[in-house]
Amino acid sequence: MSTSLATSTVRRASCRPTMRRYVLGVESTAHTFSVSVVSSDGRILSNTKSVYLPPEGSGIHPFEASQKHLGAAPKVVADALETSGVSVGRLCAVAYAMGPGLGPCLRVGAVVARTLASSLRVPLIPVNHAVGHIELGCLLTDSKDPVVLLVSGGHTMILAYSDNRWRVLGESLDLTLGQLLDQFGRHHGLASPCGRAIEEAAASSSNYLRLPYSVKGNDVSFSGLLTASKVLLDGGVSFSDVSYSIQETAFAMVTEVTERALAFTGKKEVMIVGGVAANRRLSSMMCDMARRHSAVVAMTPLEYSGDCGAQIAWTGWLAHTCGIQIPVPESNVMQSWRLDRVDIPWRN
Amino acid sequence: MSISLGVTEHPHGHLLYRGAEADVVLGDWQGLEAVFKIRKPLTYRLQVLDEAIRRQRTVHEAEMMHLAKSAGVCTPFLYNVDIQSSTLVMEFVRGVRVKDLVASLSGTQLDGTFFEFGGDVAKLHRFGIMHGDLTTANVVRSDGRLVFVDFGLSVRTTRIEDHGVDLRLIKETLVGAHPGASARALDALNRGYASVVGQARSRAVLKQLQNIERRGRYARVT
Repeated sequence: MSTSLATSTVRRASCRPTMRRYVLGVESTAHTFSVSVVSSDGRILSNTKSVYLPPEGSGIHPFEASQKHLGAAPKVVADALETSGVSVGRLCAVAYAMGPGLGPCLRVGAVVARTLASSLRVPLIPVNHAVGHIELGCLLTDSKDPVVLLVSGGHTMILAYSDNRWRVLGESLDLTLGQLLDQFGRHHGLASPCGRAIEEAAASSSNYLRLPYSVKGNDVSFSGLLTASKVLLDGGVSFSDVSYSIQETAFAMVTEVTERALAFTGKKEVMIVGGVAANRRLSSMMCDMARRHSAVVAMTPLEYSGDCGAQIAWTGWLAHTCGIQIPVPESNVMQSWRLDRVDIPWRN
Repeated sequence: MSISLGVTEHPHGHLLYRGAEADVVLGDWQGLEAVFKIRKPLTYRLQVLDEAIRRQRTVHEAEMMHLAKSAGVCTPFLYNVDIQSSTLVMEFVRGVRVKDLVASLSGTQLDGTFFEFGGDVAKLHRFGIMHGDLTTANVVRSDGRLVFVDFGLSVRTTRIEDHGVDLRLIKETLVGAHPGASARALDALNRGYASVVGQARSRAVLKQLQNIERRGRYARVT
């Protein structure tokens, strides 16, 4: 592993266009199958997707989702390559989301990536999906040393980089923010992901009903909030009133623990990434909070805040600059792979 | 204090520290040098929610700071509670936060500090107090003693689960903010904890800590 080359390689590549190199990345951790080609100077040349939508009232069925991904894969790969204008022969590596995620879905992405890497005889690079969210966010927002709020269906974590890892400063002790919203929405008969429908319903209410506000030190807990919200809904309270109340409560909790991490670390940047970053009420609360600490809030553009191939391709490139790769016979998937277990040599 | 803003003027004195939920101001109270902990309105929260939380935490913190003394743990002396402005006025503790101390400690000093830290946490737990906010920023080394502050999130409880949550936060802070010292510090902390509550109780709480970690996403507890 040639760790020491990390930053210098990136810099050199970005000032000499002739040296530009290309990585293809495959994202397939949950509902989204997506492929992207990025260049070594940080341009996203393509980012095509196919998204599995579950039937109303239910969540992702892992096997059904994987079947949909399998069917969509050839076209998504071909589209990503065509849009990018990069011929397969010019790819220097293929990256895939090794985890965390749903096993059947992860395996589809792994199969596609292995096939491409072996036939092209280029390195295969394992990428942690969550690290991908953060690194793509840093690329697009130009954040240097942020406190990161990662909020999605799979994660609710507050992180900061130090000493070769993204370190967890706070997280949910049970449900993620995405799960809270999805499970509440599904109880009302919606299909996952429910975040947008809840945000829209909430916008038409200003009737706040007290719900459990559970901050435990740097951590949050959403299970009591979910139960109480379902009870309100079952008791005949309107969906928009409960949506408003659940958003105000849950987002204030998350903002409070992010503020704690900001005060504790003394950093001056906050970056929000992950699917729930798309919610405007959450981002307005974060901006309000950051102002008090003279910190700036970086928002990942909507197109790239949710799951996408670009997060895998770009992080794959960063890993490639440090010589990280995995032999095809060992390229399994890891459904549980916490991001604070991943070494980040390119930030040293 | 890591984000001390220097001498910023404030109605009560000058701002020492802007924490997540409160401004900490050094000023004068009836001729005494005092710290004003002011829970300012947080505008990102709905007003009704924010007022309830600030009032509850201010009153509760005052009660629990007092109670912690009965448990044998040092906390600042409280001079006044103003519910209207969610302000606590208390003794100014001269010292260094453990957070700012860790990097400068030798191995044996680290052992000693965290053995004591663990013992004090155990005293709180034995007395039925969960601190609720046990980060290294909330414990101050002063005059050879450890002084515990920030009881706003504390809970009266003897449940193993709650005591486990307390220890989990120390672990999260150590691993997250002091990765180089975390293994040794945790070991000393656990020994200090066990020295007060006994091996059996200590093992039970640590076991529960593992259960709590397992509930987290993608966790692999070893």
